[in-house]
Amino acid sequence: MDFKLSEEHQLIRQSVHEFCDRYVCPIADEVDQEARFPAETMKRLAEQDWMGIPYPVEFGGAGADYLSYVIVVEELSRACAATGFILECHTSLASYPLFKFGTEEQKRQWLTPLCKGEMLGAFALTEPGAGTDAAASSTVAVLDGNQWVLNGSKIFISNSPVAGVIIVFAMTDKSKGTKGISAFIVPAGTPGLNIGKHLNKMGIRGSLTAEVFLQDCRIPKENILGGEGQGFKIAMMTLDAGRVGIAAQAVGIAQAALDESVKYSKERIQFGKPIGTFQAVQWMIADMATDVEASRFLTYHAAWCYDQGMPYSKEAAMAKLFASETASRQTDRAVQVHGGIGYIKGTKVERLYRDAKITEIYEGTSEVMRMVISGNLLR
Amino acid sequence: MLRIVTCFKWVIDDADIRVDAESRKLNLARAGYKISSYDRNVIEEGVRIQEQHGGTLAAVTVAPPTAKPCLKDALSRGPDAAWFINDPSFADLDAHQTSEILAQTVRSQIEFDLIICGEGSGDLYSQQVGPALAEKLGIPCITWVNKLTFDEEQKQIIAHRKLEEGMEIVSCPLPALVVVLPDINSPRIPTLKQVLGAAKKPVHDVNMKTLGKVPEAHLRTDKILAAVMDRRRIRVAGDAEGIRSVVNSLIREGVIS
Repeated sequence: MDFKLSEEHQLIRQSVHEFCDRYVCPIADEVDQEARFPAETMKRLAEQDWMGIPYPVEFGGAGADYLSYVIVVEELSRACAATGFILECHTSLASYPLFKFGTEEQKRQWLTPLCKGEMLGAFALTEPGAGTDAAASSTVAVLDGNQWVLNGSKIFISNSPVAGVIIVFAMTDKSKGTKGISAFIVPAGTPGLNIGKHLNKMGIRGSLTAEVFLQDCRIPKENILGGEGQGFKIAMMTLDAGRVGIAAQAVGIAQAALDESVKYSKERIQFGKPIGTFQAVQWMIADMATDVEASRFLTYHAAWCYDQGMPYSKEAAMAKLFASETASRQTDRAVQVHGGIGYIKGTKVERLYRDAKITEIYEGTSEVMRMVISGNLLR
Repeated sequence: MLRIVTCFKWVIDDADIRVDAESRKLNLARAGYKISSYDRNVIEEGVRIQEQHGGTLAAVTVAPPTAKPCLKDALSRGPDAAWFINDPSFADLDAHQTSEILAQTVRSQIEFDLIICGEGSGDLYSQQVGPALAEKLGIPCITWVNKLTFDEEQKQIIAHRKLEEGMEIVSCPLPALVVVLPDINSPRIPTLKQVLGAAKKPVHDVNMKTLGKVPEAHLRTDKILAAVMDRRRIRVAGDAEGIRSVVNSLIREGVIS
């Protein structure tokens, strides 16, 4: 058993950390407060080979393992959770289904530019009436000659306003329930594909999220992904892998909360002493550090299972559940350590507090994670 | 073909050093290591010149065997090959010893036209290794360089030296050694493919079997204690009189003139 990261993984962490110090941290606050998409960072992420980390070199990826990817998301999120998520959504939600289920031609045409960072990807599953209950999806796709015609609307679609391609899920046979869902590759700019206005989110505000409307949106017949009726399986497998990425994002957020709290506890003087000398603060820091470490181990373990080709669904769910709840709990503690100043915009913990919450919701809520975990144990 | 050698040192990451407030002793138990930041500029400058003029780029370090992780770190930044001159006794060398070990290795094993060193190391900062190495190799040494170019036609380097009183521009035929300042460039961050590719690059292991005699140290470290910054806690009012008194004391102490 080895708890030490390889030299490569340590170097990856070091390089992302350096990257964030130079390019991400200086704009993180502005990106949050202005809800501004950090386009300049996207170009730089591509230059660092981070836009397709776990995918093959022949399709423009870096050919690295999943743990490398997890480390990058963690470190980016430690500096700016929105930036970490934009990369996660692009890599896990948009690129993964193409990598896993795409034909050679689809990979060449779509996965390659995604991995090279020439375009961003998005994933459109959720609908106003179908969140966790994906089978209640009302978006439909009908084959008309050589084209699929898509109609319906999607909501909470991250990256959609800036995406070059969107993986859209739609019913091809409503009578079959989840087995009637199919996945489609919808290029940006396709007539009938319209992106709604940006949703005004509580946190991760630099990541753009919008509604997606499909009105007689016609795409070529060959743009179906993995065959008819495969959509639900594709979505579930994509979300399984994606959860490790969200766990990593949560670890990054929680680590940042810890970093800030340790720093502030040493600097802030009350009653003539740094507040870190008081037991009440010491205990909060201790709990925070323990939770962060536990979250990280669960997350790296899930990534390791993925890299070993072992089942990882339960491990990914455990990692996401624990890490996201840690992020929420410990960013709350971090604001408490900071007191009044922690409640003021421009203080990093205030941003972290808002950024953390979504990790308990997207790519499967904490409740769904508990269903997945117990389902693995009780079936 | 230009053959460039860059020298670097693996030093304790100063961000990880903990100080015991009472004894002022340094606690290094959990300290990590990194390439001395001055030497990142060295490697970057080598990479930059190689990108423009081709040739080979080597990275050389003198260190204990435990410093092995430094090799992938250095190689991920661009050099084609590394020389790892190592022995357990190399944990605490002085500049005289380091430059002698480097000189022996370079003389016997590495063909070069240009050697680049950093202004000083991130830990000891003696600023001696570069000039001493040039002396031992019998080649010219150009220090305080913040801009470096290679003139392919004339086969010479042109270096801008940042001196206290101004800039000096010198040209020098090769072989030569250049000591660069941190403001010469901004080191790039290794890409993921560079990090993954580092393991595939050759590392030449140089140890006591291949080295000649290592000289005795000229310097002995008796004690290392953290510096203490005593604040004077002088209060000055924010009015015109207060500002005048701050300016006067700064002038008196030679901070401004």
